[in-house]
Amino acid sequence: MTEITKKELKHLAQLARIEISPSEEEKLIKDLQEIISYFEELKKLDTENVSPMTGGTFLENIFYEGEDKNYFDVKKATQQFLEKENNFLKIPGVFE
Amino acid sequence: MSLTELTIKDFLNGLRKKEFKAREVVEAFLKNIKENDKKINAFLTLNEEEALSQAKKVDQGKKIKNLSGVPLAVKDNILIEDLKTTAASKILKNYVASYDATVIKKLKEAEVIFLGKTNLDEFAMGSSNENSAFKIVHNPYDLTRVPGGSSGGSAAAVASFMAMAALGSDTGGSIRQPAHFCGVVGLKPTYGAVSRFGLIAMASSLDQIGPITKTVEDAALLFNQIKGFDPLDATSVKFEYPPSLLNPSWEKIKKLIIGLPEEYFEKGLDKNVSSALEEAIKKLKSLGLKFKKINLPHTHFALSCYYIIMPAEVSANLARYDGIRFSALKKDVCNLKLQEIYLKSRGEGFGEEVKRRIILGTFVLSAGYAEAYYKKAQKVRQLIKKDFDRAFDKNDGGVDVILTPVAPTSAFKIKEKMDNPLQMYLSDIFTIPVNLAGLPAISIPVKKYSLKGKELPVGFQLIGKYFHEEDILGIGQYYEKLEER
Repeated sequence: MTEITKKELKHLAQLARIEISPSEEEKLIKDLQEIISYFEELKKLDTENVSPMTGGTFLENIFYEGEDKNYFDVKKATQQFLEKENNFLKIPGVFE
Repeated sequence: MSLTELTIKDFLNGLRKKEFKAREVVEAFLKNIKENDKKINAFLTLNEEEALSQAKKVDQGKKIKNLSGVPLAVKDNILIEDLKTTAASKILKNYVASYDATVIKKLKEAEVIFLGKTNLDEFAMGSSNENSAFKIVHNPYDLTRVPGGSSGGSAAAVASFMAMAALGSDTGGSIRQPAHFCGVVGLKPTYGAVSRFGLIAMASSLDQIGPITKTVEDAALLFNQIKGFDPLDATSVKFEYPPSLLNPSWEKIKKLIIGLPEEYFEKGLDKNVSSALEEAIKKLKSLGLKFKKINLPHTHFALSCYYIIMPAEVSANLARYDGIRFSALKKDVCNLKLQEIYLKSRGEGFGEEVKRRIILGTFVLSAGYAEAYYKKAQKVRQLIKKDFDRAFDKNDGGVDVILTPVAPTSAFKIKEKMDNPLQMYLSDIFTIPVNLAGLPAISIPVKKYSLKGKELPVGFQLIGKYFHEEDILGIGQYYEKLEER
């Protein structure tokens, strides 16, 4: 069975971009471990020849023309940005 | 009868006959909210001024439309332009919606009035409403108990006459379970029947918006208005519902065969739930409906399947909350490096359950585990869907509708399950399979409950075939007529 170690948790939290405080770690590890152990029951099911269900029901590809449509007011959509320039979001550099 | 006790149907009739003005009714609801919501906490934001001015417009209008003047509450994960939309999360506490969700647009066209936004579990993740970042909702039948979740605010608002009806969203039972806990009606439509454009996404292969109402008839009226194809939701389905959706024919309804899946009645049902279900079945039999025992053999595995697929989708959907684009959590983040802004905003902005699910979802999708967990769950999901396909297959002696409990217990105590997430997850065991399969289902109170009574409400669940909302709504409407006799 998969074991969630402190190292594994830190790795997952980093992937998920969530800062975890040391006080949260212990409870998270315990909860995750318990939930993941519960999943073990799925191993009992033979799914060798079952195709995976990848979404909801009746999904089909939809194609659209590349039209220029405004679904919402750009001013409203950008007004809550902390920093912006000409309706573009301004953020610190991605690369240092 | 006080104005806040009106159903949508009676309200519209009264408005047409000029027995009252829309404004009077809206005022009665706002008064009730101000007096009673201090102890219930159903609302996060009130839309008082706008609601009153909308009511005035309805009163001055020439024609009463489909839902003119109906005072509705909306779960705070559905966008209404220019109103705060928080999803009950700290990370969105300052976010003001910049556009209307498609369902809101459709309701505005029908002249519905929005009283306010209702409380929920943060990002709709929870079964008790205790995961709201702002305040805990109390069950109007017993303030020491939870209203259910995640649409607990919507269900509690309707149950305590603070809204004529409400909208909720249902990913694993979030409309039906609170409806069952609060003695109201809750409909989860077929996947693809109602557009989710403008719904804050939780798990996109499962989410559906639906009505929470006092009666099944009202649920049909609201569903009829919000349903329909929308190019802005890629999972939206083009489907023409028959007119019988609103006017079910008894000749057709009485021929429907109801399946009782053994797996849902085996064990773990509280006594008050099982005896209430017996009562519901007896009443339906008295209407002349036929029952048949059926099997849904993979039911047991639905919980595991769901708690892999849902967090996986959650971890992807919630990646957009970066603490930058949808209003900032902290004003001083600009001096930080980009990665630090993400880590800090998300660490502080998300609550315990949301973090747990994002990390769990990241785990089941991560290299080395995706095959064993995520892919396996997708296969199990197929088996669960096939169970229903078989049960509904007319060529194989199948049934038309399936009746089950909504949850193993009625409303539990506040804090009872908060320390044990797995125990909390188990309260969704009878509603989850429906979302995995994408079917429509409704939770209907077994009888009329009184807020002054000692009894906790119990509902029963009717599951229909794909896009056969008319069957479950039809049976429900005849069932509730029994009460009126």
